[in-house]
Amino acid sequence: MLVVYCEYPKTMCGIVGFLAKRSDQQAAVGCTILGMLKALGCRGPDSAGVALFGSPDDGRYIVRVKLGDSGEFDNKVRLLAGAVDATGVQDFSTTASYVRFTVAGATDLQRLTRSIESLDRDFEVVSIGHKLEIVKQTGSPENLENTYHVSRLKGTHGVGHTRLSTESRVDLSHSQPFWSHGYPDLAIVHNGHITNYHQLRRRYEQRAVHFYTENDSEVVAIYLAEQLKTGAGLEEALQRMLRDLDGSYSCLVATERQLGFVKDTFALKPLVMTETDDFVAVATEEIAIRSAIPGTYSVREAQVREVRVWQR
Amino acid sequence: MAEINCEGRSTREINSEIRRVIAAGDADIVLKNPLARHNLGVAILDPVRIRIEGSVGYYCAGLIDGPRFEIMESAGWGLAESMMGGEVVVHGSAGNGAAAAIRGGTVVIHGDAAARLGVSMKGGTVLVAGSCGYMAGFMGQKGTMIVCGDAGDAFADSMYETVCFVGGNVAGLGTDAVVESPGKDDIAFLDSTLAQYLPGSQKRGNDFKKIVAGRKLWNFDKREWKVWQEAL
Repeated sequence: MLVVYCEYPKTMCGIVGFLAKRSDQQAAVGCTILGMLKALGCRGPDSAGVALFGSPDDGRYIVRVKLGDSGEFDNKVRLLAGAVDATGVQDFSTTASYVRFTVAGATDLQRLTRSIESLDRDFEVVSIGHKLEIVKQTGSPENLENTYHVSRLKGTHGVGHTRLSTESRVDLSHSQPFWSHGYPDLAIVHNGHITNYHQLRRRYEQRAVHFYTENDSEVVAIYLAEQLKTGAGLEEALQRMLRDLDGSYSCLVATERQLGFVKDTFALKPLVMTETDDFVAVATEEIAIRSAIPGTYSVREAQVREVRVWQR
Repeated sequence: MAEINCEGRSTREINSEIRRVIAAGDADIVLKNPLARHNLGVAILDPVRIRIEGSVGYYCAGLIDGPRFEIMESAGWGLAESMMGGEVVVHGSAGNGAAAAIRGGTVVIHGDAAARLGVSMKGGTVLVAGSCGYMAGFMGQKGTMIVCGDAGDAFADSMYETVCFVGGNVAGLGTDAVVESPGKDDIAFLDSTLAQYLPGSQKRGNDFKKIVAGRKLWNFDKREWKVWQEAL
């Protein structure tokens, strides 16, 4: 068994990403990403989360709803189940703070989200996608595993995050990864600071975009979703991000078939990567990759303003 | 030769074991299973040889004076930071801030170096077989930086007396950086350094361009306010 020593002071968020190039949908992506996160747990002990892609695409959307941060959820589960019962929901299940179910691919996602979130002030649709599933909570990656058994999740690729909160609340909603509400199968994790966050947020709010948190990372998801909606490819969207988002940041982005990253214009935040014939792994620190993925491969630091996108 | 297995040990325990082994008189040390951990081999002041069989994390071989480190894979941020003397050889790539503020010794990176290579170096030699990233050489005060491949943007910005040589292209010169033709002594120095540390290199001394400070920022003159306006 590999023992990882978290003996360093808390520094800043840790982000990880992994893409299996050859494996089918049964690759142990959950186990790999959890292993990477555990190695970075000391960077950010406030919360941990993963966004995994891999459920068989049967044309239906997977919906994950946060019921609340703590407490007894039985009444909330009944409330939600009753409300969505008439919408053709299948596979309805509850684990800890989350309800998970699937809906038909033709569902109006904005309308579904509004109807769910209007039921209870604690309800938040955390992710919707054909393949995307986001699981996050406060506490360490070990806590995440104990509650949601992330290591058992199979898939093709995904991203993960351990958080050190510097500016906003520590709760499930402020945890990462962030899904861009309304745009399916898009998840981001971010380490750094978006220094023109308030300016961007004001502009979005003037256009009636709803923000769920006061975490500057949320604007990254909203920005990228907007770029993709306009027809930009992911690589082009990340290049535009360098132009439009100020600050020091390393960001990882995952869509239904892609994994990408962007590093800021001053190279102020760490990000290392490796690519072999079998996989791509990206992380804040090399220790995350070495701890979770055995074998011989070389790792390098991403350069300033570097943007990379891998396609499955 | 002493062998230290890093697995199952804290960094403090590993570094203490290195010191114990040196104190016992062993001059050849091998670290196994380093797993890219931070702060390995910091502040070693003895002329010993330490081979690390794997990757290291941040600040490896920082503050050293005398030892020779050989890192068989890559290194994280702050490699050999503030080194006084000795040699640090990395067979893979190095992260940001490699050889920052070194005062002496030699750092050799067989792969690429990321941003801020050799910033504020005050002596010594940095040799990169591959390319280097953004803002290498910033505020370099003395010493020599040799990059066999390409250099990133803002190269050699606001330098004092560090001398830089680049074998490939420079994406962009920093403020007050000027390109010169290397002289005979420069070419002889480059050839001998390459022969010593990168004997397989195809580069020759006359393949390099020399980059030094233009000295326009060294002294403030209010009549040259435009120079400062551009610099700041």
